[in-house]
Amino acid sequence: MLVFVAKRLGSLVVVLFFLTLLVFTLGKVADSDPVRTYVGVNASAEAVTAAREELGLDDPVPVQFASFLGGAVHGDFGISLASKRPIADELSSRLPATLELAGWALMLTVVIGVSLASLYSRPGRVGAFLRFVFFSAASAPSFLIAMLSVLVFYKWLGGVLPAAGRSSYGPYEDGTGFYVIDGILHASPTYTWDAIQHLLLPALAASVGAGVALARVLADGISSSLSSPWARTARALGENEGTIVRRHALRNASSPALSLLAVQAGFMVSSLVVVEQVFSWNGLGSYLSGAIGVGDFPAIAAVCLILGAVYVVLNTLVDVALAAVDPRVRLS
Amino acid sequence: MPFSRRRTLERVEAAPTARRDSAWSALGPGERTSLIAMAAIVLVAIIGPTLMPYSPIIPSGSQLLPPLSSGHVLGTDVLGMDMATRLVAGMQRSLLAAVLVTAVSAAIGTFIGVVAGFRGGWLDSALMRFTDLFLAFPAMIIAMAIAAAIGQSLGSAMIGIIVVWWPLYARLVRGEVRRVVALPHVQAARVSGVRGWRLLWRHVVPAVMPTVVVTASLDIGAVVMTLAALSFIGLGTPAPAPELGRMASDGMKYFLNAWWVAVLPSVTIGLVAFVFNYAGDALRVVLRRTGV
Repeated sequence: MLVFVAKRLGSLVVVLFFLTLLVFTLGKVADSDPVRTYVGVNASAEAVTAAREELGLDDPVPVQFASFLGGAVHGDFGISLASKRPIADELSSRLPATLELAGWALMLTVVIGVSLASLYSRPGRVGAFLRFVFFSAASAPSFLIAMLSVLVFYKWLGGVLPAAGRSSYGPYEDGTGFYVIDGILHASPTYTWDAIQHLLLPALAASVGAGVALARVLADGISSSLSSPWARTARALGENEGTIVRRHALRNASSPALSLLAVQAGFMVSSLVVVEQVFSWNGLGSYLSGAIGVGDFPAIAAVCLILGAVYVVLNTLVDVALAAVDPRVRLS
Repeated sequence: MPFSRRRTLERVEAAPTARRDSAWSALGPGERTSLIAMAAIVLVAIIGPTLMPYSPIIPSGSQLLPPLSSGHVLGTDVLGMDMATRLVAGMQRSLLAAVLVTAVSAAIGTFIGVVAGFRGGWLDSALMRFTDLFLAFPAMIIAMAIAAAIGQSLGSAMIGIIVVWWPLYARLVRGEVRRVVALPHVQAARVSGVRGWRLLWRHVVPAVMPTVVVTASLDIGAVVMTLAALSFIGLGTPAPAPELGRMASDGMKYFLNAWWVAVLPSVTIGLVAFVFNYAGDALRVVLRRTGV
């Protein structure tokens, strides 16, 4: 097990290194000129030279990469070309916003997946109809689900749930940036409940697709487990069907479901970017699309690196968890 | 020997055509509907834009007309351009882009997979290391970074997706090639002196292609969605180009007053993705049942 963990950590470092290299290379070949974006089209020649110096563009490319990599390791992503402020400062309040939303979306995914799994393998017409509904939900782009949920819960039902922003009250000065946790820490049920209400619709929009996919894998796993010899043995021993599903089939189906969850987490990152935009959620996603709009590549690179690192680390954790659950994984 | 082999190949190729009727009758009503719907969408995408009475990029009516207005069945957008015309044009763009992206990714992946699986040795392990590295990257994020670096256009979004999409095919094809190379008929060809390109081209590649084609047809729905997501966050061709994702995100500005400007393009994307996902599944079922 220790060898397995060491190997996975080694490849984690390699992947992160190449990820940084790739993003850095893209910055070099990017079609917009960083200096011009920084000082403006009409700047004087001296201003351009000064900006080149300030942005470190006069150094040899390997030196530039070394300082980019060193900075990224320490959470320093350079200066935003658009706002001319350190990118790390701008992201510090946005990262918790995205992570909070992602955490809730992941929880909702599991809830949706587990609760729909038993409906998925239902026989007959009802089952076929349900599968049709789930299939359409999984095919809908996350921004469509976001829009429809805003129409239903905000416009037509007269604002039962808020459709924009993270809170009606604004952040606590000394808070963690995770609003629900902040509310609990300050013992304020109104603040906490308000933050949860703001989270519900965006988290739902980001998790429907992943939840349905999870339900499908769980249902597949359970149904193949139930027709296996050991399930027959359990039946022969007089266990009832519910116990067999809960005790045995669900556990066996959980390992493919876990690896699917890691894949879905990658997709979820992209749907979060989209969903944040619909709900004016002040996270990394809306920062990213803002940066895309003005061609601020260092800012784009920073967001891509952070989200990419989260994804790669998450995948490593899932692999280790799978190996811990299933000895076959670490021995192969 | 080569002559008799060619005859065998012809016989194998002829078989699926002969079975087509039975495959169709083996399908359930849902699967049939999905295949018909897919054909309908492709038809609309091909000839639809020429049938529409307006131009997709020139205003043709009052601004923000709601759906079911006279002359504009699905209403107009904020510049007064006809929604229905733009949706059909956008569908054509999306589908064409998705087919291109899938085809190019499949071609690159197949090439690398065939070379790796057929040559083996150090080249195989080097190529597969490279492929695995790309598979370990977060696809969507890399696609975003690439598209953002190249510039805001549909073309750069397509390149971004191709870069993250080919590794799946490379892995798949390499596995298939290694399986096929060990099959008796390939071994027999090898023993009778067929080697190198000829063996590859005549015996290995034809055996691998069906898997690639089925996977590609299953992928089109996913590529449509990915392209739409990139376009939605601003990595597509800016307005007035009829691009569905971009239309949806631009429409968000008037969302609470004129929901249709944002919702209709999103529904169109969902519809295309849904039909292609469903039809792809149906196609897989057909192939499994007929044992091709």
